[in-house]
Amino acid sequence: MNSPDQPVRTEQMQVDASAKWPGLALFGSALFWLLLGGTLQLIAAIQLHTPTFLAECAWFTYGRLTPAAQNALVYGWGINAALGFGLWLMARLSATTLRHGGWLLVAIKFWNTGVALGVLGILGGYSTSFELLEMPRFVTLILLVSYAMIGVWAVTTFSIRNTENVFASQWYLFGAAFWFPWLYAIAQLMLLKAPVRGVLQPVVNAWFVHGLYGLWFVPVALAAAYYFLPKILGKPIANYYLAPLAFWWLVIVTALAGGSRLIGAPVPVWIPTLGTVANFLLVVPVVIIGLNLFGTFSGRYSALSGSVTLRFILLSAIAFIFASILNLAFSLRGFVEIAQFTLLSELRDWVVLYACFSSAMFGAAYFILPRLTSGAWRFPTLVKMHLGATLVGVALLTVALGVGGWQQGHLLGSSPVAFGEITQAMTFWFTLRTAGFAVLLFGHLAFVINFVGLLCPLCTCCKKATADVGQGSSAEGHA
Amino acid sequence: MKNGLKLFLGVFATLALSWVGLLLTAHQQIGSLSQFKDPVDETLYPQPLSGLAVQGSMVYQDLGCVSCHTQQVRRDGFGADLGRKWGQRGSYARDYIRDSVVLIGQSRLGPDLRNAGNLDLHPYADADYFYRLLYAPQSVAPGTNMPAHAFLFEVHALAGRQPSAYAIKVPGKFGPGAGYEVVPTNRAQSLVAYLQSLKDSYDYPVERSRNASAEKPKEGGH
Repeated sequence: MNSPDQPVRTEQMQVDASAKWPGLALFGSALFWLLLGGTLQLIAAIQLHTPTFLAECAWFTYGRLTPAAQNALVYGWGINAALGFGLWLMARLSATTLRHGGWLLVAIKFWNTGVALGVLGILGGYSTSFELLEMPRFVTLILLVSYAMIGVWAVTTFSIRNTENVFASQWYLFGAAFWFPWLYAIAQLMLLKAPVRGVLQPVVNAWFVHGLYGLWFVPVALAAAYYFLPKILGKPIANYYLAPLAFWWLVIVTALAGGSRLIGAPVPVWIPTLGTVANFLLVVPVVIIGLNLFGTFSGRYSALSGSVTLRFILLSAIAFIFASILNLAFSLRGFVEIAQFTLLSELRDWVVLYACFSSAMFGAAYFILPRLTSGAWRFPTLVKMHLGATLVGVALLTVALGVGGWQQGHLLGSSPVAFGEITQAMTFWFTLRTAGFAVLLFGHLAFVINFVGLLCPLCTCCKKATADVGQGSSAEGHA
Repeated sequence: MKNGLKLFLGVFATLALSWVGLLLTAHQQIGSLSQFKDPVDETLYPQPLSGLAVQGSMVYQDLGCVSCHTQQVRRDGFGADLGRKWGQRGSYARDYIRDSVVLIGQSRLGPDLRNAGNLDLHPYADADYFYRLLYAPQSVAPGTNMPAHAFLFEVHALAGRQPSAYAIKVPGKFGPGAGYEVVPTNRAQSLVAYLQSLKDSYDYPVERSRNASAEKPKEGGH
């Protein structure tokens, strides 16, 4: 380490120390929900090809398990992890500590209590059945208030920044911090508190779902990519001068694209048309972001072997491009006619939530958590297993949902094929889907064991023994 | 970008624009869609659901039926919805104003249900059919992966008593066996009432003429 870097290093350590307990609490709860949501998801997936599995109990009927799993993954894993990563990064980039972390811990407790009540409420039969808003209405206020108490930290940390420049990751995090509560509050208001009439409800729902994926999960994943690439590779983002253009173009157009989920639905036809046009306009910012990210990667792929974070970020960046292509495909009438309502439409959202967002969070966690605890990952084999399981699981699910969905769409589209025959023909793909979820869950388990190992201060000698292995990850970034 | 205020205003404008442009505009356009009075039979369409069916729609929500079933019929020429007898015509926005919670659905792991209770399309779909479908799906839809909803039913030992008037007939190998009867609970009864109420058989002249160019002329709704 050169001597001019020394003050920066101290400052970073102070920031990390201030983010320790909120960060660990957020990542810890996120991992709990990741395991729970993954388990529920796996049970639901098994039920598609073995419908008798756990069917006697109303709490575990497929129609309740699916939304319960999805809500656990989105609100439990997704939002906790995004906040854990976002608060830390905001503090780092603003070169200021995260102040009054104790209050954050209270808010985190409330948020997770709200999610727990919501998931139990869905399983217990209080679901509202609106996509991603299934949680019973009594948890809305808990979630909104506790989110506000956490999200405000991102904003205040940003506003007391000690830096001259504002980096791309900060725009995305700052925007996401506001968009989620606004989207959520408006959707709750227009669907449950003062419901709009008729098909306006699906319009509001589609606007919310599209916004949640496009204005919360994607921005957070991009914030991670924009931060870790230059940090670990030790070079600036390529064509960075285009990044502000891409940011504004991406978010303004994404906000208008919600109607593209309603092609063919009984709504005024301008709504899906506006969404379709918006999706085509998205090509430009996606290309710019691709140039930014892969331009930074280019020529440095050899660095991948040294950093697990970088590998997860690369997966996330590829998934971002893939998700954008799928999104574009879902704007073409001919494609939608076949792919709508099939496993392919599940793939479209799953790629964003898992392959793009979750991979970015795994990468971030491998970088952040050792710094928060000033330790090292104890079981390097488990890290490899997690990465391998993620790659295999993502590949399996992409094939199962993509190819399976395409076949399902063709069968649905030919009316002589009886519905029971479609189900029979899909059994193979449903089984493959289950295998994919099982592999992913296995990877999560490896990650959680490693996380617990990191927290557990039982033997300091173990830490010493693995210090060499940890070297790789801690040498990653002192930019 | 260095100015926090500008960033905030941009972030705010982004969402405000989409809220006004998409949701408020749509609300302005179809938020007050009203029932249509048929000039011949002087009846308002769509007709409101019965009280029992409204209760059933809540059971539909709580069981998460929307996870696998859509309730939207795509128009002729866009998918095979009409060929699959999921409706006599594509769905219109006006069809949905009778529903307090509108669940058009995103997944067709199961068939579309918008016209599940339409006996013109599915003459077999009487109450008994739905009860059997819920209690033992394989008994009426072989090969299906729909989960059994046996928890919506009570199985009583007959023990010489007279069977309940509501007891459903379950074919041999799917039933609980001799000496037992299967009785639907209130929840099952209201859910079935809701499913039977699902039919958009009336065709509105305004919507029909508006969609005429896209659709082949069809014989009337009835």
